[in-house]
Amino acid sequence: MEATSARYAARDRFAYPTAPAATPLQRYIQNACSPENYEPNLALCLEIADLINAKKGGAPREAAIAVVGYVNHRNPNVSMLALSLLDICVKNCGYPFHLQISTKDFLNELVRRFPERPPIRTTRVQNRILELIEEWRRTICETSKYKEDLGFVRDMHRLLSYKGYVFPEIRREDAAVLNPSDNLKSADEMEAEERAAQSAKLQELVRRGTPKDLQEANKLMKIMAGYDTRHKTDYRAKAAGEVSGVQQKARLLEEMLQGYQQGDEIKEGDVFEELANALASAHPKIQRMCEEESDDHEAVAKLLEINDSIHRTIERYKLVKKGDLEGASAIPKGTLGVSGAGVKKGPDNELSLIDFGDAGEPEAESSQQPAATASADLMGGQAEQPAGQAAPVRKAEVSAIEDDLLGLNMGDGNFGSGGGISLGGPANGTSVDIMAQFNQPQQQQTATDSIFSTPSSLPHPQQQQQRQQPAQPSAQKAAYDPFGSLSASGSRPTSTSATPIPSAAQQQQAAAAKRPADPFASLSTPRSGSPFQFQQSAPKSPAPPPVQPSGNMDLLGMGSAAPAPAPPQQQQAAAGGDDEWTFSSALPDQPHELTVTNSSIRTLFSISRDNDTEILLNSKISNNTPNPISDLTFQLAVTKGYTLQLQPQSSRQLAPNQQNGITQTVRLQGCERGKGTQVKMRWRASYTTAGQQQNEQGEIAGLGVS
Amino acid sequence: MGGSISKMMGKIFGSKEMRLLMLGLDAAGKTTILYKLKLDTDVTTIPTVGFNVETVTYKNTKFNVWDVGGQDKIRPLWRHYFSGTQGLIFVIDSNDRDRMDEAKNELQRIIQDREMKDALLLVFANKQDIRGALSPRDVSDAMELDRIAKNHVWKVEPSCATTGEGIFEGLAWLSNNVKLPAK
Repeated sequence: MEATSARYAARDRFAYPTAPAATPLQRYIQNACSPENYEPNLALCLEIADLINAKKGGAPREAAIAVVGYVNHRNPNVSMLALSLLDICVKNCGYPFHLQISTKDFLNELVRRFPERPPIRTTRVQNRILELIEEWRRTICETSKYKEDLGFVRDMHRLLSYKGYVFPEIRREDAAVLNPSDNLKSADEMEAEERAAQSAKLQELVRRGTPKDLQEANKLMKIMAGYDTRHKTDYRAKAAGEVSGVQQKARLLEEMLQGYQQGDEIKEGDVFEELANALASAHPKIQRMCEEESDDHEAVAKLLEINDSIHRTIERYKLVKKGDLEGASAIPKGTLGVSGAGVKKGPDNELSLIDFGDAGEPEAESSQQPAATASADLMGGQAEQPAGQAAPVRKAEVSAIEDDLLGLNMGDGNFGSGGGISLGGPANGTSVDIMAQFNQPQQQQTATDSIFSTPSSLPHPQQQQQRQQPAQPSAQKAAYDPFGSLSASGSRPTSTSATPIPSAAQQQQAAAAKRPADPFASLSTPRSGSPFQFQQSAPKSPAPPPVQPSGNMDLLGMGSAAPAPAPPQQQQAAAGGDDEWTFSSALPDQPHELTVTNSSIRTLFSISRDNDTEILLNSKISNNTPNPISDLTFQLAVTKGYTLQLQPQSSRQLAPNQQNGITQTVRLQGCERGKGTQVKMRWRASYTTAGQQQNEQGEIAGLGVS
Repeated sequence: MGGSISKMMGKIFGSKEMRLLMLGLDAAGKTTILYKLKLDTDVTTIPTVGFNVETVTYKNTKFNVWDVGGQDKIRPLWRHYFSGTQGLIFVIDSNDRDRMDEAKNELQRIIQDREMKDALLLVFANKQDIRGALSPRDVSDAMELDRIAKNHVWKVEPSCATTGEGIFEGLAWLSNNVKLPAK
């Protein structure tokens, strides 16, 4: 009431009110509208907007009332200053302020000095007011999410038109800032926005206090307090929708770039640029969403994969824009869901694919396939090969397909099971498609039925980076030649034998090299924790899941659950210094004891070579605690290329301090003699002790037998 | 104009209007107090989801009493009711010793708000009919009112919502202490 009377008093005064305003907000507004300003004080206006946003509650109303008081000031300069402040507040304070300018009393006050009949010439103040109302009507009243709350603006517009006022033309683009931004919003942000709007509305309804408003306020409270869930929005679903919108944009840009020809020009403000900007702004958002969704592995996997594809598209766009078409086409093509976007790959790319697999991913089957071909060729070239030429090739093919089949099983229905996980690459369900296109030429060479090969091909986001380090791949290429000849001189040429298993040191080196360059590596944690990677002890369950290189293990902090035996790795590290040579030895078969866990449970592996391709692991689990252990599940996973055959655990319970209470026989198949030290396995144990669920996991690098 | 005349009359004859906000933990008895004031009957209430508002005239003062639900999900929404509040009635279940701390924290949060800085604070130590309930003195000690409400005018009033004991005394105190805004 006092505010009104003060306004009444101030309104008709010629002099600017000099009495100190009651609150800081009013004081700021008084300063911003002071006739001493020759032009709007933009900094102060923005500060006022920030203050309103920070204070919330009654601040928007307080500001709106104060400003409209100055709009009606006798001094047109003050009015103009007030109107520009009003404009800034409307554009920066969002819905809470929109709600205030669309109240009846505000709008009536705003046009209080309009004569009943429009004058022959409207003053500049009136003109500006008309312009603002027109602007509001064309923007927030049409596009705001809560436009039904802003009805009075439209009514006022209609009333003024009816009275004969003519609204100035506005350019929609100028007022476009009032439209809701189409920036990507995460589920949390959307929820926060909605809450802010609801709060503002509740406040306003309570303030108005008419029975109708109070009834609505009561309803709104029920919604806000979460008792009324009928109108509850699924923000996650909405966020997913938004992400798919971004994905659509990425796809469009990718397609456009694929159609880009030498000589075409990318102009400023082009569709290209617009799309690329939209993508670039969505990029960090997606990463944020990954963090928010970190408890949903599948969502994170999908987000990462979208992120990667966007990243590639942006990179390509940048290169194309610079005119570096070659560089652009070096980036793996294809984006999510673009079929046929993959390009034919030259031999160079093929090679580099082998190389990167070699350097970083022993488990990547994409590397395995070309390797199989390579070994076949190698062997084919050797005249003394007893089986002749056709047989090994055939075999290589068959087992490649077999592995792929297994890979298919594993990849089925879960993301993150691909080998590429270890390097934070987009090694998950859909992104596999990208690389499937990428790999097609090879598949046609190696596998007779390329369908099976599809899931095996693994994408790698770091290909460019790989290519930038030519020294390493070539060194590794050299390193794997001896392998080929080794296996060729051996009597059993299989595809797995030719699978290049890089030394641990090389892997670490590669992982270390990638770590700083790969912003997503750290994001890959949840994926690598995906329970699907692990194999239950179901008999005959196929598909060796991937194992992560240990360098990455540390990065992910997963290896900390239990110390993985490292000695073989260190030896490898020493050997790895000599890139050109891979040493191998042929010692007599000796069983080897390996302590895998020694926490509440002690797991002992006694490892021995069963025959030329199989290693036998006898696992014995003992209880280290004086409490009984129940529901014990011991899971093992092994690099692709090997197969695990787990016999069922002898039991799932351990009595207090029971020694060797659970036994299990595991066969590791596909491990050639001499490769035992290079086998990498991961294990995971879950059990219940003293009423608590325990989970442990870790990695075994090298089995200690050759 | 009509409004200002009646206000002038109100000044002469001492009738005034006061906006009261009644808050407190769930099951403290806020809604029961409100309807005891309004209807002078003991009503059986259900947990308030949302709020109730009633106008009560007592001793020439018209009280607009807002009773907002006290469940923890609703508490964040209390602040929307602060603006314009001249008196806060904070209702405490005197028998609920375990939640005195919780009540204290909530009260502290409310009266620290800028919009509540001029409000009178009336604490109803409710449910005095239950044997073993804390005395008003104990309640004010448990709530540390000397500390958390040192910038406010406050009073603890023993009450029993079902019989109406103490409630009107509380209102009388509010009405006597309310500062009329300078006209």
